[in-house]
Amino acid sequence: MSFAVEFDRVARHFGQVRAVDDVSLQIAEGSFFAMLGPSGSGKTTCLRLISGFERPTAGQVRIFGDRADTLPPNRRPVNTVFQDYALFPHLSVRDNVAYGLMVRGQNKASRRDAAENMLTLVKLDGYGDRKPAQLSGGQRQRVALARALVNKPKVLLLDEPLGALDLKLREAMQDELKALQKSLGITFVFVTHDQGEALSMADTVAVFNDGKIVQLGTPEDIYQRPRTRFVADFVGSANVLPPEFCSSLDLARSWASLRAEAISLTAPGRGQVDGTLTGTRYLGAVNRLSVRVGKTELSADIPAHAPVPAPGATVGLTWDARALHRMEEG
Amino acid sequence: MHSDRASLLLKSAAFAGLLFLHLPILLIFVYAFTTEDRTYQWPPPGLTLKWFAVTWNRPDVWEAMALSVRVASISTAIALVLGTLCAAAVSRAKFFGREAVSLLVILPIALPGIITGISLRSAFNIGGIPFSTLTIILGHATFCIVVVYNNAVARFRRISGSMLEASSDLGANGFQTFWHVVLPNIGTALLAGGMLAFALSFDEVIVTTFTAGQQATLPIWMLEELVRPRQRPVTNVVAMIVVLVTFLPILGAYYLTRGGTETAGGSK
Repeated sequence: MSFAVEFDRVARHFGQVRAVDDVSLQIAEGSFFAMLGPSGSGKTTCLRLISGFERPTAGQVRIFGDRADTLPPNRRPVNTVFQDYALFPHLSVRDNVAYGLMVRGQNKASRRDAAENMLTLVKLDGYGDRKPAQLSGGQRQRVALARALVNKPKVLLLDEPLGALDLKLREAMQDELKALQKSLGITFVFVTHDQGEALSMADTVAVFNDGKIVQLGTPEDIYQRPRTRFVADFVGSANVLPPEFCSSLDLARSWASLRAEAISLTAPGRGQVDGTLTGTRYLGAVNRLSVRVGKTELSADIPAHAPVPAPGATVGLTWDARALHRMEEG
Repeated sequence: MHSDRASLLLKSAAFAGLLFLHLPILLIFVYAFTTEDRTYQWPPPGLTLKWFAVTWNRPDVWEAMALSVRVASISTAIALVLGTLCAAAVSRAKFFGREAVSLLVILPIALPGIITGISLRSAFNIGGIPFSTLTIILGHATFCIVVVYNNAVARFRRISGSMLEASSDLGANGFQTFWHVVLPNIGTALLAGGMLAFALSFDEVIVTTFTAGQQATLPIWMLEELVRPRQRPVTNVVAMIVVLVTFLPILGAYYLTRGGTETAGGSK
């Protein structure tokens, strides 16, 4: 198994700030890899360590087995789709896409053809003569994508690629990026703070916090089996249950997570616990109930068409025993 | 109280202001055609085109003109290189004392020309540099740099950092990034700055007086010529040329920078 990108105990410190702190990871060739985390968690710095705009303070970065952390950005076999797209405003869309080929000395006719092919791939044929300023946000993003892909990078890096798009467009682009990655077979590494985006597109997700990877796994792993309280809370905001809660259920003392959608309502005394309903929030598909159980506030999602008890009522809560996930650490 | 139509008083005040500004210049133009060559007599006793021919045949005019063009071109060229580099450093890099540097670069244009002139003169003296065309050029370059710098630095700030990173990411080296991305985005600003610098240098008197040896640039030549009561309209013909040579670049610079708002970063 060869790895597209390997981090070997990589650190990047800015003075006292440890933006990336002793990170080791392997990104499999051909995978769609997400770096997920809140802002300031080190995910973007990791991406810039791959593209070459940051050099590690310690450790090694390897791209397809070759040491890369000593190479400048223009000599690495990777290309980036920038968050603000960073299109060249003075060049036409076609010349933007052909830029990488031009600086590498490819002749005009062949780079023009390559650019047109790439524009067709991202469904922008016929837009070659326009300037970036004449395009919509979604179209500019496609140009940025085409401009990166035309160089046939071994790894494509995407920095919050969908951040600037509206919801509808973002969902459409998620499907398109996924399909594009499958058909091209190129390793995609993308950075996002949107857990929905990471879960729906990636095959492997690394969750970052404070410059470290706190969990690495498939989207299902991350969502169903969060390793720490931070992951449980950041990814899909699960109920984080303190050790006392487990004790009260006659389980071994440990932190646990329980997804709101795994909980259903039942008559008092019929479920695992009883609690007092303190509030209801209508979320469209479901009603999110806040239920106080002892000292713990639990969220439970029930279908929007089901009847909602009055606030202050005592309710029973029940769940499949497998849904309660014990976490390794607090 | 506000009315859409300017009052008669305001209109006449504006007109008077314009007259005050431009009537003297018109007078200079008129005297270029007068038939009387000793005193500036009003109204001119007659009109003639002969002074244009006289000017054409005066070798000292041509000499001064050639010197002025040479000084303005070379000091503009020096300013373009140094001003652009300065602007690049101040807007792209972070270093200790950056704010101080950006203030110091602008200072020469804020200083009275006479101070610049005196200090340069003593500096050249101490350095043992003989006063020559070279010293005039150096003197002019001090204020030309400011004009180029000011134009370039504003444009540099509009080039987003990620655009330069994108260029490098796509395989360009530093020179290619400068040539294909930076230069096209600051090009009009440099042209405008260069034109202004050229115009400033072309009609400069004070610094030139202090830094010149025996040479006379066109404005210096005019100053000397006014003292002599002979063929005075020749000075007026030259003045017309100076007005054209300096006015056209300034007009050009105005139009170039006016349309520059849709460049880098304006697409967001």
